[in-house]
Amino acid sequence: MRIALEHLTKKFGHVVGVEDVSLDIRDGEFVAFLGPSGCGKTTTLLMVAGIYRPTAGIIRFGDRVMNQVAPKDRNIGMVFQSYALYPHMTVFGNIAYPLKLKKVPKQEQIARVQAVADKMGIGDLLDRRPGQLSGGQQQRVALGRALVKQPDVLLFDEPLSNLDARLRLVMRAEIKHLQKELGITSIYVTHDQVEAMTMADRIAVIQNGRLQAFDTPDDLYDRPKTLFIAGFVGNPPMNFVDVEIEQANGAYYAVSPALRVEVPPDRGAAAAAHGGRVVMGIRPEDITIDPTGAVRGRVFVVEPLGRDDLLDVELDAHTRLHVLADPKLKVGAGDPVLLKLDTQKVQFFDAATERSLLWQ
Amino acid sequence: MATATPQHEPYMGSPADDLAFERISTGELVFQAVYSALVTVMLLEIGVIVFRVLEPLVHHAPALFGSGATIDETFTRTIGNALMTLAPFLAYAVAGHKMKPLASVNRARALGAALAAAAIVFVLVTMGQYVFRIGPFAERPSLEMTLRQTDAGILVEEVVSGGTADRAGIRPGDRITAIRRVEVTLAELNTAVRQSKVGDVIRLRVERGDEEEQFPVEVAATMEIRPAALVAGLVIALLFAAVAVFWPGGWTPYALLIAIMLPLAVGYLWLIIATFSFRTEGLLPVNAQGEVGGLTLRNWEFLWREATGSNPSIWRVTLNTLVIATAMMAIVLLVSSMAGYALSRMNFPGRRTFLSLTLILHGFPAVTLLIAIFFVLRNIGNIPVLGDYFGFNTRGGIALVMVAFELPLGVWLMKGFFDGIPWDIERSALIDGASRWRTFYEILLPQIRPGLLALGIFAFISGWGAYLIPQTYSIGTKTATLAVYINQLTSDTAPVNWNEIAAVGLFQMLPVFLLFIFAQEYLLNIYAGGTKGSS
Ligand SMILES: Nc1ncnc2c1ncn2[C@@H]1O[C@H](COP(=O)(O)OP(=O)(O)O)[C@@H](O)[C@H]1O
Ligand SMILES: [Mg+2]
Repeated sequence: MRIALEHLTKKFGHVVGVEDVSLDIRDGEFVAFLGPSGCGKTTTLLMVAGIYRPTAGIIRFGDRVMNQVAPKDRNIGMVFQSYALYPHMTVFGNIAYPLKLKKVPKQEQIARVQAVADKMGIGDLLDRRPGQLSGGQQQRVALGRALVKQPDVLLFDEPLSNLDARLRLVMRAEIKHLQKELGITSIYVTHDQVEAMTMADRIAVIQNGRLQAFDTPDDLYDRPKTLFIAGFVGNPPMNFVDVEIEQANGAYYAVSPALRVEVPPDRGAAAAAHGGRVVMGIRPEDITIDPTGAVRGRVFVVEPLGRDDLLDVELDAHTRLHVLADPKLKVGAGDPVLLKLDTQKVQFFDAATERSLLWQ
Repeated sequence: MATATPQHEPYMGSPADDLAFERISTGELVFQAVYSALVTVMLLEIGVIVFRVLEPLVHHAPALFGSGATIDETFTRTIGNALMTLAPFLAYAVAGHKMKPLASVNRARALGAALAAAAIVFVLVTMGQYVFRIGPFAERPSLEMTLRQTDAGILVEEVVSGGTADRAGIRPGDRITAIRRVEVTLAELNTAVRQSKVGDVIRLRVERGDEEEQFPVEVAATMEIRPAALVAGLVIALLFAAVAVFWPGGWTPYALLIAIMLPLAVGYLWLIIATFSFRTEGLLPVNAQGEVGGLTLRNWEFLWREATGSNPSIWRVTLNTLVIATAMMAIVLLVSSMAGYALSRMNFPGRRTFLSLTLILHGFPAVTLLIAIFFVLRNIGNIPVLGDYFGFNTRGGIALVMVAFELPLGVWLMKGFFDGIPWDIERSALIDGASRWRTFYEILLPQIRPGLLALGIFAFISGWGAYLIPQTYSIGTKTATLAVYINQLTSDTAPVNWNEIAAVGLFQMLPVFLLFIFAQEYLLNIYAGGTKGSS
């Protein structure tokens, strides 16, 4: 089922929940809505579900305008962060409820519920009540309930936020696998960018109710179109330095009081064409501690992350860079270090409009 | 074996406590005793205040409680007395309890200290009781003479000189035969004296030689010191202190619960005994002669009494009450749950105003609206058809008014319960394919079942005990409820049989009692609903 949102807007009185969001979701595609808490992800999802009525704009499933269609006639399945199971019904009752409402014959109900429950690995829990299940099991029941009616569209609202880290990893893989296997068009809301990056075909980044970008994970990471996206996608976040571009002997240099590094000619040229001051972005993993490095700094804070140490390196009073370093180097706070910047993936943005100078 | 292995003392309790109490100084002991005595005096003071507050209640009980809930004065007085008598024992227990840590080190010493402390407290308490004229020094109504029962009447053996009997002119050797013209035994005379107030005048018919004369004797307040009571008090004090020293801590909650529940339990016991008795003396049933006995079914006669002109049959009254209570429960549940849902889940103009208005209405005393509602009911009565069922002097009308008074509470309660259900569950049901209506009764209502049960029971009970509204808006006995029936028992011109009233009261209470026994699980579970994992 193809889904199209056109200039979708939702206001609660004076509070703007979602403003002018337009995007197209292809049939069978897995799309993530990514954004900080309170940015309007849930609101958008609930409009797609038919719970909220849009203040303005159009929602289409296929070619059909859905704005006036009741939730029960949209044939969607939804999984909530709170699971939203019916506490007074058994697991069977919960999963069978959509079928019961569709007046599916009892025998078929039993067969279909059993099939879905087996698929979700909860086939032996059917006569328990939600209160007797663990969080992970409850989430599986919720997923089963959303799947059992063979929906055209699957909606997920932060379904994994209440699970522990390990279980989240398992469920992440399972949901992704299921979605690909069943080929159901899915929208997955999350504030966790790792979740979005790993699971989605395309990610819609939302901020303050507005759509910031709608791209594949790779494009968002390697070719961010705005400063916001560059800073939002990726963990630890990208470093930004105000620089000027100098050209000498056919080479391009990004220069600030704290550093002077050579940048690739194509990117340098695009930035130089803009002229004046630009914002340079470089990811922490593209910076290494190296005795041959050209940038001098002093370690301000060390945050051990396990596999890496995250260093906060002070270049001068105005410039700090996040650097991922090998813990074996055993650098401590206060140590002077030399940094080497791998500028192959360096980004440039207009300081005023915050738009990328490299990608449009 | 030359190496010295460190020898450890066997561990005995918490060392810090032990050291602190190893040697208990006389100063400490005195301090504890004085402290306990202060606590006692405070408790006594509270007891006195409680008693003073209860006393007028006792005398005006019939007026205050109208019909159903009349309390015999002896009962309240018994409770008041019990409070004051028990208070010192708390102090003895405290005195003993203070020595508990010492007991794990040295039992004998702890016991001795506790007993000493209790004895000091006892002396202080006794002094206090003397000052306040309570306990063993309480002043009792008395005629200030010594009497003995003989065949020829009650013989006056001694008269306290200057006492009230002396002043009235009664001399030793006189024989008392009657109060006014009613012949009495010594037991009856004593009861009469005990039940009268200081200053009342008892007119004694006295035979002196061959003459017969009436002496009006004013009842005086006399302090009779009973040494036996004092000794018993001391023994109990020591016993309490001793028990407190070795009291297992785990029993305390039960002991407290029992102590708190005891007066209540005694109240119910008393009610039940009273209904099967001719008369009661404290908890003892007594017959006309004041002797123990006199059990009777007389008070339960109302169960099979035929209806007479002004007295309806109890069964008809019970049916009325049942109809009104059930109707109330059904209507209140239906309207409250739907209104509560709308107020909790929907946004409509006037929602907040409506909410605050209902709250105000809930605080409105029903009595102030009686006259206005009378006019409303009379006007409803003028509507054709409908008026016959919901007008003035109909069961429907009464139920309607009572439902109206119950609804504000119900609506607010239900709104609160709906507020507690996460939105997501409702959304989930809508997406699963349910209509809003179906979501309401298939998904939401089951989740607030404890609330529905509680509200239903509240509504039923308030209908079952209804008095003011049925009494006001009905003429004659057509729509009388049980409470109204009880009231009629008191407003007769004949002397009131309080024990019969107790019996009807017990009869009225039984269904409510059963209801609570079966529903208490739900009532207690009210706050345990909701969904795990919902945020
Ligand atoms: N029912 C509502 N009434 C008023 N404001 C709302 C309502 N639902 C959401 N909002 C507001 O809309 C904004 C977006 O909320 P939401 O979509 O829930 O954010 P999130 O991205 O965390 O899911 C927030 O500012 C929120 O306060
Ligand atoms: Mg949300």
